[in-house]
Amino acid sequence: MGGEMRKHPTIICRCNDVTIEDVERAINEGYTDLESLRKRLRIGMGPCQGRTCIPLLIRLLARKLGKKPTEITLPVTRPPVVPIPLELFLKSKDVGGERK
Amino acid sequence: MKVNILIVGGGISGLSIAYTLAKRGIKDILVVDANYIGSGSTGRCATGIRASFTSEEHVVLMKNSIELWKKLSQPEELGKYGLQFDQGGYVWIASKEESVELFKKLVNLHNSLGVPTRVVSPEELKELVPPIRADEAKAALHDPTAGKSYVFDTLHAYIKACKELGVRIMTFTPVRKLVAGGGKVKAAVTDKGSIEADTFIVAAGSGSKKLMESIGVDIPLKNLPRHIMITEAFKPAFKPLVIDWDAGGAPYIVQTKEGNFIIAREIEEEPEQPLGSVRIDFLPKVVSAMAKWFPWIKRIRVLRYWIGYYVTSPDHHPIYGPVDEYENIYLACGYSGHGYMLAPVTGKIITEWLLDGRPSIPQAERLTLRRFKEGRLIEEFAIVG
Repeated sequence: MGGEMRKHPTIICRCNDVTIEDVERAINEGYTDLESLRKRLRIGMGPCQGRTCIPLLIRLLARKLGKKPTEITLPVTRPPVVPIPLELFLKSKDVGGERK
Repeated sequence: MKVNILIVGGGISGLSIAYTLAKRGIKDILVVDANYIGSGSTGRCATGIRASFTSEEHVVLMKNSIELWKKLSQPEELGKYGLQFDQGGYVWIASKEESVELFKKLVNLHNSLGVPTRVVSPEELKELVPPIRADEAKAALHDPTAGKSYVFDTLHAYIKACKELGVRIMTFTPVRKLVAGGGKVKAAVTDKGSIEADTFIVAAGSGSKKLMESIGVDIPLKNLPRHIMITEAFKPAFKPLVIDWDAGGAPYIVQTKEGNFIIAREIEEEPEQPLGSVRIDFLPKVVSAMAKWFPWIKRIRVLRYWIGYYVTSPDHHPIYGPVDEYENIYLACGYSGHGYMLAPVTGKIITEWLLDGRPSIPQAERLTLRRFKEGRLIEEFAIVG
């Protein structure tokens, strides 16, 4: 069954449609840390901010490099962590009246 | 370890210099970076590229750089590795009459140097940027030669091409200091041992000043934190990078090739603040400025907010070329926020300095470190994007 499934691309970053094959190719090209993998592939850069894919990516990278997952340096977390609407940063008078 | 040429700094400048030197047949080039490639100001930039500046030096250099961006994006150069130059232009919006007058003067300067900018009406602005609410605009300056290039595709292309030409790249290798003696730089001391070289190039961005201090050369650079954010992605909405000239802090917005909007505005900052020191007041300031022109922006979400340094020189122009104290070291730093767009011409200038003794663009020769000692500073007053 595993072989059958591998015929299809396995998406590990659902926000940006990054597949396991994309990751393996990038690692082979020399992107062997999470920050540069993220930027090369846009993995973890979508609305979920890596909640789903980064743990998977850590395991994949650790296996490839023969390291323990705990030895992989985590990427930087940027605010606001969870995507929030920009109107939350405006005063109520600037926001009102435009919502359709 | 001993190499022919050691380039300290694996940002866009260091890679462009390495690539240009290697293309001229130079062997045994090593690029070292303290972190991953593009981890400094390069990877934090807004990716805009333009020639519409306010000094002859900048306009000429950027015009040359744009020609090189176009050439590099061809399949036979770096296009085959994914480098794209999207010539979507820049528009600067004026909401004051005096700014319109200034734009007319700038257009004369640009046109005289071969950059075809022009002043456009609010109606034309609306054609260039359909989702804008342009009623408060008096006019806009349109630079059709400007554009953008996605930074990590560009870095990837340079890395591939450099490696193909035999350039070696060492990441996660911080250079702690340089060692000099007898009027020459001898070695760079790194965490992975000492590296000797015949020629050194310092393209170390925000680390350049400290590195040069280790051999007693003072370069007058300040690292100014600049704040920037990115939203979730949407289908392509408009091509140009849009700047509000009159808002203070020159807020700007650009849509990336993935569809995200990058939005930024300068806020008052102290130099040398750590890159992690985010400021909650940045977000209301940037959002309110952009919501004036793009009311729909209030409904979209911010994904990330980060800080990058404008490595700024006293006259906001780069510092290029040799230093008086040592015969075998060259500087390529202090771009004051424009290192990414300058990178192709930076490679050309430094390569020519090394191999031909002087750069072929005469304006570049005015940009050595010596100008600060001699008081020949260059005037520039449009330092954004």
